[in-house]
Amino acid sequence: MLLSPWQRALRIGLAWAVVLAFAFPIFYWLTVAFKPDGDIFSVPPRVFGFEPTVQSFEEVFGISLGFERGLEVLPGGGNFYMLPRLWDSVVVALFSTALAVVIATLAAYPLSRMRFRLQHHFVFWVLSTRMMPPVAVAIPMFFIYKNFGLLDTYTGVILIHALMNMPLAVLLLKSFFDDIPVEIDEAALIDGASRFKIFRKIVLPMAMGGVAATAVLCFIFSWTEFLFVLTLTQTSLKTVPVVSSTFVTSTGTAWGNMAALGAAAMVPAFVFILLVQKNLVRGLTLGSLKQ
Amino acid sequence: MRMNAVSLRLPRPFISDHPLPWLLPLIAILVVFALYPFFYNIWLSAHEFIPRKRGLDFVGFDNWVKLFADPRMWNALWVTLFYTGVCLAIEVTLGMAIALLIDSDDPGFGILRGLLTLTLVIPPAITGMMFLLMEDAQFGIIAAFLGDVGLIAPQTAILAEPSLALWGVVVADVWQWTPFMVLIFVAGLRALPSDPYESAMIDGASGWQTFYRLTLPMMGKVIAIAVLIRGIDLFRMFDYVFVMTSGGPGTATYTLSLYAWQQTFSFIKWGYGATISLFALFIVLLVAHLFVSLTKVRW
Repeated sequence: MLLSPWQRALRIGLAWAVVLAFAFPIFYWLTVAFKPDGDIFSVPPRVFGFEPTVQSFEEVFGISLGFERGLEVLPGGGNFYMLPRLWDSVVVALFSTALAVVIATLAAYPLSRMRFRLQHHFVFWVLSTRMMPPVAVAIPMFFIYKNFGLLDTYTGVILIHALMNMPLAVLLLKSFFDDIPVEIDEAALIDGASRFKIFRKIVLPMAMGGVAATAVLCFIFSWTEFLFVLTLTQTSLKTVPVVSSTFVTSTGTAWGNMAALGAAAMVPAFVFILLVQKNLVRGLTLGSLKQ
Repeated sequence: MRMNAVSLRLPRPFISDHPLPWLLPLIAILVVFALYPFFYNIWLSAHEFIPRKRGLDFVGFDNWVKLFADPRMWNALWVTLFYTGVCLAIEVTLGMAIALLIDSDDPGFGILRGLLTLTLVIPPAITGMMFLLMEDAQFGIIAAFLGDVGLIAPQTAILAEPSLALWGVVVADVWQWTPFMVLIFVAGLRALPSDPYESAMIDGASGWQTFYRLTLPMMGKVIAIAVLIRGIDLFRMFDYVFVMTSGGPGTATYTLSLYAWQQTFSFIKWGYGATISLFALFIVLLVAHLFVSLTKVRW
């Protein structure tokens, strides 16, 4: 449709207004992280006009950023001791992503390249695991893990996060493999290459961008997951989303500290999501829509 | 030499064209972490924890009888369905409007689409916390704004008001997931052929007619996929209500997932919690499969 310059300007203005409205809560949360305690509880709430401070970050992570306290680490690891929790999040997300991507690449290759009996049903079974309410997995898994001693361990959480990401990873990688012409495989087969060699030397290198995008999305979903970690861990590890609820205490909520932790959890995810813009819609729809 | 060459070869299955060795790791993890818990859950639903015995007792179908007679369960199901329906309606409508607005090649619109993706990667539990603060009766910026506009009385605790609490959660969901719809719809709009639009322009169709007669029908598959994926996630929503309201006030924001979780872990009704979670599982699988076969969405 052709727009007059005025309509065009109006459209640009409106689009920016809408997007900034969506960005506002993130911005507001960041201001809370940098506000001194007094300003968080100002009535009416204030967006600008406060003295920014990194005190909330220093308290949460038990590190000194060198603005007010000098460069030494706070005794006792700070008031909340959240740095290990950030580490837990990274470990769980990294290992569950690696596991999911390795298993899913192997499975996606035949789903894309071979025809076998019940294939359609198999794909649907994989898709169905994406539909299960997590609570229907978490409840039995709690008792199974208890019996096998996997409760409250890295292994347990990594395995369940890998399972959670499996449908996404399999279907998404299948769609990336589908993009590669099957004639390449056929030519190599005639030349006497084995299936595994074709997979390793031809298809996988050609789909590397897709594998990377899949890995990034798996990482993000593990990073933000809440229910499984809440249910299957007790004290020895906790990821950032779960631990954020510990700031709500009977004597009040440490909003500044919580916002600081939340900000630290968001920033890596923001960086990652900007890396996969090109394949984001494909990922969000489990490979069924291409951009 | 010959022996050497043979021993260096890969295990036989990987050379063959059979898909099984490729799929085996996936099948293994799905059997252990999806199928086994599923059957364990069924077994659990036929038992109940007896505090006096400190163990499980076989109760047969008692939990299922209890489930269908439990008004709190029906309330949770209603809350879940209401929440799913309301959020879907708002997110699809708003998402389509914003998608039409920002589907443009003018400079700057790429940045706008990039900015919109940011809400998708915030842990929902932290989104819940953000809105908990912003909807606070005294220091909340949303509460203050709505109070100033006159939509709610000043100093209303949105999440403690039975008639408003669920809407307070809906706001958080709509904020975080409308961009999900926008991105999918924009991708769908960009893939549409331009010929029909040229014909429509020549025939003098109005903007609304073009949207209603051309865009909407051609976007059918895209909308169906977005509704399916979002609908599934809405139906099993847990994080927001857990951190924002814990189901309260009263039972106003109890979703099926939260009710099942609390029965198991807060009230030590292991068998009953498992039964509710199975019930939720059956509903979502049934509805999703019906939806897929009706809309003919393919993977």
